[in-house]
Amino acid sequence: MPLRRTRQPGSSSSVSFLNADEELLLVKLYAGKVSQLCGHFRFPEEVEATAVTYLKRFYLKNTVMDWHPKNVMLTALFLATKTTNHPIALEHYASHIPRTAPSDVLDLEFLVAQSLGFDFAVWHAHRALWGIWLDIQTLPDIDMNELRKAYDVALTHVRASRLTDVELIYTPSQIALACLSLASPGLASAWARSKSGSPESSPSSPSSTPSPEILVLELLEPIKSMILIQGSPPDVEAVREVDRRLKLCKNPEKIVGSNAYNKKREAQERKAAEKRARKAAQVRQAMADGDPFGSELAEQDMVDDDDDDD
Amino acid sequence: MCESCIDRLFTLGPAPCPICNKILRKLAFTPQTFEDLDVEKEVAVRRRIAKEFNKRREDFPDLRSYNDYLEEVEDIAFNLINDIDVAETEARIAQYKIENAAIIEQNLQREEQYAQYLKEQEEADRLEREQRAAELKKLEEEEREEKEKGRQELIDKLETSDKDVKKLIARSRAEAMKRAAARIITPALRSTSHLLRSRAAQSTAVPDVPHVPLQDDWYAYEDKFTLRDDYDDPVSDAVRKDREGIMRAGGYRVEEAWERALRFAVAGLDVRPLQGLRSEPPPASTSQDVVMTAA
Repeated sequence: MPLRRTRQPGSSSSVSFLNADEELLLVKLYAGKVSQLCGHFRFPEEVEATAVTYLKRFYLKNTVMDWHPKNVMLTALFLATKTTNHPIALEHYASHIPRTAPSDVLDLEFLVAQSLGFDFAVWHAHRALWGIWLDIQTLPDIDMNELRKAYDVALTHVRASRLTDVELIYTPSQIALACLSLASPGLASAWARSKSGSPESSPSSPSSTPSPEILVLELLEPIKSMILIQGSPPDVEAVREVDRRLKLCKNPEKIVGSNAYNKKREAQERKAAEKRARKAAQVRQAMADGDPFGSELAEQDMVDDDDDDD
Repeated sequence: MCESCIDRLFTLGPAPCPICNKILRKLAFTPQTFEDLDVEKEVAVRRRIAKEFNKRREDFPDLRSYNDYLEEVEDIAFNLINDIDVAETEARIAQYKIENAAIIEQNLQREEQYAQYLKEQEEADRLEREQRAAELKKLEEEEREEKEKGRQELIDKLETSDKDVKKLIARSRAEAMKRAAARIITPALRSTSHLLRSRAAQSTAVPDVPHVPLQDDWYAYEDKFTLRDDYDDPVSDAVRKDREGIMRAGGYRVEEAWERALRFAVAGLDVRPLQGLRSEPPPASTSQDVVMTAA
């Protein structure tokens, strides 16, 4: 962590770092770029949705100033093709994207996977929407044309929801129902009512506890507002501004070749060498004692040699 | 001690040992099985103790008491082997014998029965094996005889009849094949059924442990939807309209995909989002230290 030594060279007190909203703008821009890339490669929508999710989850754990979203986006997309069973060769992938070497993609792959917690399965709202489409057909008096139109509109809303945070907070069924409700409130509430299982008219039941369908529909309100407000791609000018500031406040330790990077590398290697020497000394000591497993535990000073997450 | 010395010293009755002057009998001498005398002594002590201390894990309510019992036994053995408190240890053994006389008897019986059972099994196995060997030999003999007979007949026929040579040979070969096939089937049947019967007669029926089905509260949202036979569904049209069924060859069934979609649509509809951790956005001032998250 940088100390508060102002006026010293290398201090960061005069740098204006990005705050959370600005990082969000940048991530949203690159999430939009994922769509363009997928269109260029003709990947199915599943790949696109998975890649955007990976990008968002990655930036839940890491900051834009450490890892620039451009390469992370490429890596997330490559990873998504692999995990959704639509793999392509790395050379083919890198050759179709200008100014990219295969190593750019591969270097970050393990980091992205680690930040995802190696949870590669993502459940999207598309399948839930399809399920609602199928299930609504079991309700009586459904107009197929109206349903079809509503489905298409709902699909665009689902695509917009990818740029928001909804999939990190709500379940896919809720998101799908919210999108359908934005497209056609009548259909959505009819379906929700049928799902809640409460009898249509029950004069004996007290009206203090709202029926389950109302609870569900209330739950959809924040989702709907989130999709409508945040679901549009960000303003390009604002993003350009953020990018300019990002150039100044990038973490120097992560840029290969800079002083900070080299220093950090040296520190790591020194620690590793020390650890190796300590282990060798322990082994030697143990062999000298005559017992290869080491004899008295109390004599060693307890140095924790476990790998820290550096 | 060598045999001749034993004879010399102890034939006329119990006599003192030449080294330690303890009174010994000739009967008490056993031929040495191990090179190391300590090991021999230990084995003798343990053999003697094992006759008395023969309880098993099943005789104890829990593992702890069984282990305590084992520790006691080891204690006694250790004392006897290394000549520590011999008198006291003998007293302990005597006391144990008095206390557990009945159980010791029971266990002895049980072990005897088990040994008996094993012997019977072995006998039966041996008999079976012998029988099977005898049968095989008989079969081989029969085969050889038949082959000889067939050849003789062929030669005779070739001599006597004037039909086409090739046809005769072909016919005799066909007959030989038929005989071989018939022979393979019948003895095989006979021997396996024999085996099964004998095995069933021997094994005593052990009742099965009653089956306890796995019970947990798995809820897969089955009551929230019912799968219909057919939907108006553009997404799965390609698969359903595929006449030749190429897309369904791998066992893909549209119903399964529909069920999965329906389950998705109803799962977690009433799950509230996580609350809490609503942190204030960080102040925009840049004079503070910035906490960099680890990569």
